[in-house]
Amino acid sequence: MNLFTKPMRLLTAVVLQQQSDQVVKALLQLGVLDFIHINRLEADQLAKLSSKPSSTNRIVLEDLRGRVEALLKQGHLALPGEGTLDVSKLEEVQLDAYRGVLDELTRALLGLKEEQKTANQALLGVEEMRRYLAEGKWEYLDLRIGMTKAGKSEQLSDKLSPFGAIVEPIGEGALTVLSLRRDLAQIDPLLEKFDWTEESDPLLQKQATLVVRTRLETEHQMLTDKRAAIERSVDEAINQRKEELYEIWSNLRLNELSDQIKSYFSYTRNTTLFSGWVPIDQAEAVRSAIVEASGGQCVVEWTEATEVDRSSVPVAITTPKVLEPFQKIVNNYSTPEYGTVNPTIFVMIAYLVMFGLMFGDVGQGLVLLLVGIFGSRSYRKNPEKPEGMLTRNVTNLLVYLGISSMFFGALFGSTFGLPIFRPLWFNFEAAVEGHAPATAMIHDVYGILGLTIKFGIIVIYTGLVLNWINLARKRLFVTLALDKNGIVGGIIFGTGLYLAFGFVGSNYHFFPSDPWIAPTLGVGLLLLFLKPYVQYVVDKRNNRADKTLGEVAAGSIMEFLVDVLEIFTGYLSNTLSFMRVAGLGIAHASLMGTFLYLQSMVGGVAGVVIFILGNLLVIVLEGLSSGIQSLRLNYYEFFSRYFTGRGIAYSPVGLNRSQNRQ
Amino acid sequence: MSSVDTYGFINAKMRARLGKIRDEAVTETLLRSPSLVDAIGALRPTRYEALARTFDQSGDIQALELVLLKMEIALYREIAKYVSGKEGEFIAQLLGKIEIDNVKNSIRLWYSSIIHHRPIRHRSEYLFKEKILHDVDWGALINSLSWEAVIQSMKETPYYPILSEYTQEMLREEGLFHLESRLDRLWYEEILAATELLSTADRTKARQVLEEEIDLKNLIILIRYGWYHRLESDELATLLLPWGKVARERDVAAYIQSPKEKRSAKELLSRYLEGSGNIGESSAVEEVLKIEEALAQNQKKAYRRLLGGDPFTIGVALAYFFLNKEEFTRIKAILNGKYYGFDEGYIRGVIG
Repeated sequence: MNLFTKPMRLLTAVVLQQQSDQVVKALLQLGVLDFIHINRLEADQLAKLSSKPSSTNRIVLEDLRGRVEALLKQGHLALPGEGTLDVSKLEEVQLDAYRGVLDELTRALLGLKEEQKTANQALLGVEEMRRYLAEGKWEYLDLRIGMTKAGKSEQLSDKLSPFGAIVEPIGEGALTVLSLRRDLAQIDPLLEKFDWTEESDPLLQKQATLVVRTRLETEHQMLTDKRAAIERSVDEAINQRKEELYEIWSNLRLNELSDQIKSYFSYTRNTTLFSGWVPIDQAEAVRSAIVEASGGQCVVEWTEATEVDRSSVPVAITTPKVLEPFQKIVNNYSTPEYGTVNPTIFVMIAYLVMFGLMFGDVGQGLVLLLVGIFGSRSYRKNPEKPEGMLTRNVTNLLVYLGISSMFFGALFGSTFGLPIFRPLWFNFEAAVEGHAPATAMIHDVYGILGLTIKFGIIVIYTGLVLNWINLARKRLFVTLALDKNGIVGGIIFGTGLYLAFGFVGSNYHFFPSDPWIAPTLGVGLLLLFLKPYVQYVVDKRNNRADKTLGEVAAGSIMEFLVDVLEIFTGYLSNTLSFMRVAGLGIAHASLMGTFLYLQSMVGGVAGVVIFILGNLLVIVLEGLSSGIQSLRLNYYEFFSRYFTGRGIAYSPVGLNRSQNRQ
Repeated sequence: MSSVDTYGFINAKMRARLGKIRDEAVTETLLRSPSLVDAIGALRPTRYEALARTFDQSGDIQALELVLLKMEIALYREIAKYVSGKEGEFIAQLLGKIEIDNVKNSIRLWYSSIIHHRPIRHRSEYLFKEKILHDVDWGALINSLSWEAVIQSMKETPYYPILSEYTQEMLREEGLFHLESRLDRLWYEEILAATELLSTADRTKARQVLEEEIDLKNLIILIRYGWYHRLESDELATLLLPWGKVARERDVAAYIQSPKEKRSAKELLSRYLEGSGNIGESSAVEEVLKIEEALAQNQKKAYRRLLGGDPFTIGVALAYFFLNKEEFTRIKAILNGKYYGFDEGYIRGVIG
């Protein structure tokens, strides 16, 4: 892992047009080039270049790929994924042939679906009567027993089937007919045509209910099975053409990527030009690939990132897999500027310490750890599993949070709120409840508040130091020295802290009056005021000044006032903001204390239930609050000191892009 | 309780969902799908995944309509749950429209079975049979052997007095049109009365939205029945909903009273529909559909404007329901279009 973003190089290459397809394949395979449009050439040179319209519309390719994916999903088959793509199999797309395959399969499926619909509608008819029978709604049903003198029972059954009526033989030569009363106006005339005569045998009446119930159950089962069998046939029909679909999908996807690369190409009569950013460690591989693919007939030129505007260089970050959850926290905020510090490792440390301080408990941490482990494993086992409330990233993060919570739990001697082990540092619960020994390192809530404020100061100063490193690397020395987040700002903040701690140390009676304080503050504020003027002089010397001295003077007063306000209120509020860490920790301890008290009052099984439910509630609510507050402190108090988020993310085109981004 | 307290949370929730509706662009993807199977596939990664699941199991496009109706009811109930007090009660009352539509559908099926003697076998199973707002005995309704039994199945509802005014013979002779119009009118009566539950700001907003909707309905009535079907003045006047701007206008009264052959849809529309252009020049079914679509688009614009207004009023909730309902309707129409094999262009032309 690099502490800074990866160094990059800009490639510009010229190859012969007839070899451009081989070059595209080679670049696709590597997947490390973040293409840019060639616009750095002189206007008259640019005019000689042309772009070629793609032979196939990319939207058409995407739509067709979407159709393949829809069919695969319909057949409950996994999508192939870009890892399966093989550049050597890239061929020209056969749109008509592909459409033919898809249309043929779709037609077959629609035929099956039509059959399934018929089965479903028959099932709905049976279900209605079955439901009325089960609910005893005889007022909706008509059950009769009798004999037909004309025609056969099969014929009668056929005639009554549009109404969903059931005809079953019962006794000797008798029939029972079950129908809905609402259809009687149509059924009665039909029965009359068969010369229907009613039977009044009470025994048969009794049997008839059983007979029709059995028939309905059989029919229901048969139709349910039929519907499910058709669903399986749909899967099977797709499965049979699985390989074909995978092949089409792969070629469509490869062509889309190839088209994406070609969209950055510019052409002269015989040559193809392209340009893109590559991480320095991949530069040689890219050069070799282009040379090999073009048979050596190419020109490859490199431009160092230092030669172009820093803001146009894409940012690649190397993060080990174990830090992925924290990398995502950073990505969620923004992309760091090129050449600056990669904040991931610092975010990890700060986040875990904050969380542990708020949620230190060996038992509850173990629960989080187990949820994290089982959740991550479940996602690994079922890659297609849709993300629930506990997303993949959250489950991965929970593993770290669990460990942090257990570590701090051991320091505070808390296991499910119980003092089972001796604390390695101090007893948090005892400090909150006010019965910690006076000899303890921290024995009351004030001590806890002081601890978190000191921790906050460390975080803010870490942010300032990272900012100074970034500014030095960006060679912004005036800002490094004189900005509110520069060395002057750091000194004023330090002086303010000295004053505040001195005031607290005097039991809130007086501020320290050391002779160096006033001059330090005075010189600090003066330097802060002079910053725009110094910047103006430096810019003027480097021919970069974009403002007149008058404009600088006009803006300097307001800028100074805002900076002073920011230093005195911003730093103060940022520092005090860390008291929320203490607040959440105290709330955690208080809640656990309350549940333990309730448990001791109730006792027995009910007490155990209170203990378990209390812990669950604390894990869910406090765990969530602590996670959110840690995130907030990182995003606002920590990042605001050094993280501009003005970078452009490195986004190479090709296969295995996710691996290359790491 | 301030309007920010009432609507702050729900407003953010609804806007986030509306953003998702826009991002998913479901109807556009459905339209581009070359077949029903592809269209169903396009629904899988969206909030309509339940439709795809139902289609997998049943292959039955009509079964999907019931799933959509259930989704719509759940939508109202969820929002009503998040908004407490009178505002929540009002939102729950909005379900009355769905209930009335369900009552109308059930009565149509009953009519088909008992009056026209057509088997309705599985079709009754596509009806929503749980409680929506009032205690309707759906099973009894659909299985009624007479109109009196239908009326009895709705004894505990506000529809009872209206249904009681009709007899089986009247319905056999006149059809269901007037009864359905009365039920629609009842819905507006009830919901306008329910606006009294709301605060002044909400009441004003709700009445404004409802009256705009009533204006649209009235315009459609005037065009469809006054211009296309050429109903007599008296009958046309009874169909008009007596609220909103259109019903009060003198020129509308003149339009109704004018000889039925001389009524001009073009002239009427030019006063109420911006950019109506040449719409309404010829009296064809397509023309009526075009007019109705133009009016509906106008209404859609009005609802979109609501979203840009004060976020802490009932207006955002009303716009949210409307835009959802509109998407549900379009999805139903597109899936049916795909089922019958119509091409993209034709379906686009029909749904606008």
